[in-house]
Amino acid sequence: MIGWSAFLIVSAASLFSAALIVSLYALGLRLLTTAGRIPMVEPHEFTGAITVLTPKKAAKQLKRARKAVAANPLTPGLKLVALYAGYTCFVLCSIAVLYGVYLIVPALHL
Amino acid sequence: MPEFSLIIVLVIALALIFDFTNGFHDTANAMATPIATGAMKPKVAVGVAAVLNLVGAFLSTEVARTVSGGIIQEGDGGVLITPEIIFAGLIGAIVWNLVTWLLGLPSSSSHALFGGLIGATVIGVGSQAVDYNVVAAKVILPALIAPLIAGVVALVATRLAYVITRRDIGKPDGRGGFRYAQIFSSSLVALAHGTNDAQKTMGVITLTLIAGGFQAVGSGPTFWVIAACALAIAVGTYTGGWRIIRTMGTGLTEIKPAQGFAAESSTAATILASSHFGLALSTTQVASGSVIGSGLGRRGSTIRWGMAGRIGLGWVMTLPASAIMGAFAAGLALLGPIGILLDMVIGTIVIMALFRWSRRNRVTHNTLLNDIDDAGRVVHIKKTPRRPTRRDRRKVSL
Repeated sequence: MIGWSAFLIVSAASLFSAALIVSLYALGLRLLTTAGRIPMVEPHEFTGAITVLTPKKAAKQLKRARKAVAANPLTPGLKLVALYAGYTCFVLCSIAVLYGVYLIVPALHL
Repeated sequence: MPEFSLIIVLVIALALIFDFTNGFHDTANAMATPIATGAMKPKVAVGVAAVLNLVGAFLSTEVARTVSGGIIQEGDGGVLITPEIIFAGLIGAIVWNLVTWLLGLPSSSSHALFGGLIGATVIGVGSQAVDYNVVAAKVILPALIAPLIAGVVALVATRLAYVITRRDIGKPDGRGGFRYAQIFSSSLVALAHGTNDAQKTMGVITLTLIAGGFQAVGSGPTFWVIAACALAIAVGTYTGGWRIIRTMGTGLTEIKPAQGFAAESSTAATILASSHFGLALSTTQVASGSVIGSGLGRRGSTIRWGMAGRIGLGWVMTLPASAIMGAFAAGLALLGPIGILLDMVIGTIVIMALFRWSRRNRVTHNTLLNDIDDAGRVVHIKKTPRRPTRRDRRKVSL
């Protein structure tokens, strides 16, 4: 009656796919940061959930970030490798997401 | 060809209203987290969700064909549901959806629909018409398990996101980059929602049309039904249930971009996996579970368990409460045309009263914005406030 195996399969599948997508994207971000291209994405709007920095603090953070980039121990070649590895991670991640879209649309796999 | 009776027109109208409430009730599932982290502007986010719900409704009609399958024993061996019962069930579902919206609680719209239909069937046909085993297996058990699965998945995903991007203190970690990813992950949730939730209304309308003899038994929804339902849910989504978005985005835990992305990916993965393996999980419950799980996954974040408890209570109440309202409406509807008229009048009064009440403290997309931010801006424009002169002091005392 109650399909316990269905629950197990669903848990395993969602755990695997969510972990895969998040890890790939996080790894991509990590590699970009290592390559010295630190993604700074400002929020579009400040909701109650965001801790607002004063401009002084924000400028301080930016300065610290620039300093950290300048002090990168990697050679230019290694930086390039890290950069392209990061991009590869993003591509793999988007393939995983597109597979999700493929699963949503029954017209594609019937 | 049977006559196009008034009751069928009424049921279709009510079903579309329910679809509308379903839309604005569930905007939060996809868009609460990207709005909270500032990945998207609130208005843009609900617009994207509306378009994806519209598209999603056209993509798949599989769910519509099997809606309420089994819970109410219809067809050859069992009892045939009359349009009056569907009518009463829809009234119960709509009223409960509006009540939970007013309280800002994310509750499952499908549970409200099932509850309303079950209550109406018990009164209209008798309690033997409801298969309680199926209710337990298909509605109650998944409701307990959905937030648990999603919560664990989101916890693991959040941990991974933080561990992988962790760097020495003071070095930039680039976690703001998760905001880009959030746009895609939340869009995936919205699309999955469209392929699932608009279907339920399509199923109800098609069931009514079949019961009224307008469509062959076993046929799928016609084009105008699909289009009307898609439009109703899209408009509802665009209206944005800002109360529920506030609860999900800021009420449960403080969400950072990495957490938001992890939570949305977990929601999308869980919903897709469940519908792929034929296990219906509520989008709302999965999304709430993910938000809590992502809160548990980040070090130093706190979860407002009081709010989580209120939401849980709302879930427990959804099925019985909408069932009672559906039963009440069914009791009236069985009196005949006068009863249906009475149902409509009472329903309209209740809905009007709820909207009136909601006007008292309006929650719009502006409410979500940080007032500290505005205050900060004001302070920084005026860097050194002038010392109050004697004239100023006199002005204050006046």
